[in-house]
Amino acid sequence: MTRIRTTPPRAAAAALLLFTLAVSGRAADATLLKGELDGKELSAAIAKQKGHVVLVNFWATWCVPCREEFPDFVRLEKAYRDRGLRVIGVSTDLAKDLPKVEKFLAAAPPDFPNYRKKSGGDDQDFIESVDAKWGGELPFTVLYGKDGRKVRVLSGKQSYEDLEKVISPLLRSGP
Amino acid sequence: MKAMRTLLGLAFLAAALPALAEGPAIGATAPVFALKTLDGKDFSLASAEKADKLVVLMFIATECPYSNAYNDRMRDMAAAYAGKGVQFVGINSNSTESVEDAVAHAKKHGHTFTIVKDPGNKVADLYDARRTPEVFVVDKDGKLVYHGRIDENYEDATKVTSPDLKNALDALLAGQPVAKAETKAFGCTIKRA
Repeated sequence: MTRIRTTPPRAAAAALLLFTLAVSGRAADATLLKGELDGKELSAAIAKQKGHVVLVNFWATWCVPCREEFPDFVRLEKAYRDRGLRVIGVSTDLAKDLPKVEKFLAAAPPDFPNYRKKSGGDDQDFIESVDAKWGGELPFTVLYGKDGRKVRVLSGKQSYEDLEKVISPLLRSGP
Repeated sequence: MKAMRTLLGLAFLAAALPALAEGPAIGATAPVFALKTLDGKDFSLASAEKADKLVVLMFIATECPYSNAYNDRMRDMAAAYAGKGVQFVGINSNSTESVEDAVAHAKKHGHTFTIVKDPGNKVADLYDARRTPEVFVVDKDGKLVYHGRIDENYEDATKVTSPDLKNALDALLAGQPVAKAETKAFGCTIKRA
């Protein structure tokens, strides 16, 4: 009697997923978010970029000016990456809105990492860990100099031109 | 002090005051102002302070999901505290939202508390209000006694663990100090003119 070896369904599914990822070359796109961060983890992510000017933008899918402003950060990062700009996006959306976050990012995938603020805890703690004077309004953008120190906070939607004016001198400044 | 506040109010009414870089701190004098209500009546903070024990100024919006999540809570709290000498006042400072928008929104959500329109976001500038919803509580002496959020859970009113505005009002009405007089939460930027 010939025994036919069948592939267990779970193994087959895993193989199919690996094949799909290999063919598409877009493993990271399974989720466009790089993960979740609390205040300490965000500080660590910023510190890792020491030597660069770091722009951190806090946004949410429910926030209209955030959505309007976001493409400017994508454009800005492309234009100034080689001059030392690093951009980090942080979505403050709730966990239940993850599909909306993924859909938003998938519409025009940015070349910079985006995280979601970790669920749980009091938002006030996160807000104050970013900046003591931040009231929680969105969008909100924080700039860090090459030495890793916070140099500017920008409340509300910014124009591309204003963002350029703020980052250009920082990029020209010393190491 | 009263004279200074009157002068400040008059200067504001003349629309001559530039935006303040920072709003009043807890314990500081809250800037007085006068604006038109949605139904065309005059509202003056100075008069409200005289009439009530506490005035709750709430910067609100018609389009902001965070502000809208609190529509029922604002309505219920305003009703619950009306008999205790606390007046709730909604302030719409968004340049993108008209008086007509605000009227329709108030009607839809049963907001019968006073709502004023803040043309040119001058009152938002006086208080350095940044987001909706954002609350400022002023006592009978005209001092700012609470600033911040309604509570910590915009998503689900039944799972609130830190009812900060309620705690502040209850403490103040009982003559007690407010344990958490400054609180923060995410919200929509006020759309300034």
